[in-house]
Amino acid sequence: MSRHEVAAAATRARRRGPWGLEGVVAVAGLLALWAVAAVIADQPRILPTPWAVGAEIVRLAGTGELWRHMSATFGRVVASFVLALIAGTGIGVLMGRRAGADRWLNPLLVIALNMPALVVIVLCYIWIGLNETAAVTAVALNKVPLVAVMIRDGTRALSPALDDMAQAFRLPLADRWRHVILPQLVPHLASAARAGISLIWKIVLVVEFLGRSTGVGFKLHMSFSLFDVTGVLAWALGFVVLMLAIDGLVLRPWERRASRWRRDAA
Amino acid sequence: MRLELERRSFGETGVLGRLVLEVARGERLAILGPSGIGKSTLLRILLGLDRDFEGRLDAPERTAPVFQEPLLLPWRDARANLTIPARIGAAEADRWLARVGLEGLGHRYPRQLSLGQQRRLALARAFAARPDLLMMDEPYASLDAATAARMLALTEGMLSETGAGLVLVTHDPREAEALKARKLWLDGRPARLAGAVTQAADATGSCG
Repeated sequence: MSRHEVAAAATRARRRGPWGLEGVVAVAGLLALWAVAAVIADQPRILPTPWAVGAEIVRLAGTGELWRHMSATFGRVVASFVLALIAGTGIGVLMGRRAGADRWLNPLLVIALNMPALVVIVLCYIWIGLNETAAVTAVALNKVPLVAVMIRDGTRALSPALDDMAQAFRLPLADRWRHVILPQLVPHLASAARAGISLIWKIVLVVEFLGRSTGVGFKLHMSFSLFDVTGVLAWALGFVVLMLAIDGLVLRPWERRASRWRRDAA
Repeated sequence: MRLELERRSFGETGVLGRLVLEVARGERLAILGPSGIGKSTLLRILLGLDRDFEGRLDAPERTAPVFQEPLLLPWRDARANLTIPARIGAAEADRWLARVGLEGLGHRYPRQLSLGQQRRLALARAFAARPDLLMMDEPYASLDAATAARMLALTEGMLSETGAGLVLVTHDPREAEALKARKLWLDGRPARLAGAVTQAADATGSCG
């Protein structure tokens, strides 16, 4: 996708918003289908009703357990998200600007893109240990290749003319990044961030499932051991709502603000 | 500033041949020639953007460019387009905006300015960097006659005020005359500076 197509797609997504009338109806329909199926099946241990799951969420929120484990998970999401975005942007810009680096790194990138998340997680736990560093590293490593690819393509579309301008005025490197390079990468960073956050929180749950004793993934592990489907659904739904809120309240407003200059044309 | 160029080639094709170019402090020089002859390549060498040449360049401490296109930062407002590249404060940026007739427009983004206004902003940006030597690449080429005349007058005025030197690349001798610039012609393939030897010798007494 060219820079303009990315920007146009972002604009369309912004206008539509995540929750048009159709979206609300679709979600309500899904809930209704679930409710009908649960009532007909009448097997609360295998398929609990939506209101039973809702009650479980309220109960977990009341004991404080919900917030404790959600914030543990959220902390890991943020840490690995930031790490992956920084590392991926660095690698992506390097590959986009230097053909030599691209030739060396591209085969490794293809391997990394196709490496199963589970392999990276298991190896991190074995090599680094069953600790927080390993958990965050494993998640970030899973995400870096995707960010690098998206940013590399964005970097190839950077304006050489603006680069000349910056060089002719001898802009310091920090200014060049802040005022010339990063603003051009915003649409690509936003896409990478959006694609990244949903990928990352899914991997964080796996990491917690396998080797942590806090977080939503850990609680899912506990619920799974007890065949507690109500618990699984309650934790999953709570976290989906949190992630949607972050997309709507943080990522979208940031993207809007960063691309303000594009829309205010005379 | 002094450039002793042996050769600049693109692949097998020699674009610029052996030439010596010297500009004294505060001197105004116009490099004329048909399009595609290598004028822009020569200016890129002078600006330090093209280092892939055989020869030697002694550039002054401070140079500032005006390109064929305004080349503003679209995501920064007019004032920031002065403060960031020229590394000056907001108050000084506002003075430069007023000098080129853009007072009160500091908060507009480049897209909200007309092309003429964008050109004047690019001109203000170059002067705001306080250059010893201004380097302009066909800055009036795509403007209508009235706008070009206004830009020329503005350039002349600011050159006189600041005492900055000038290297102007253009195809139009009238622009050189309006800015009272010494004229050199670039011609041939690989291109050389025609008339450079005698005129430069007249002007600086040291060029050959």
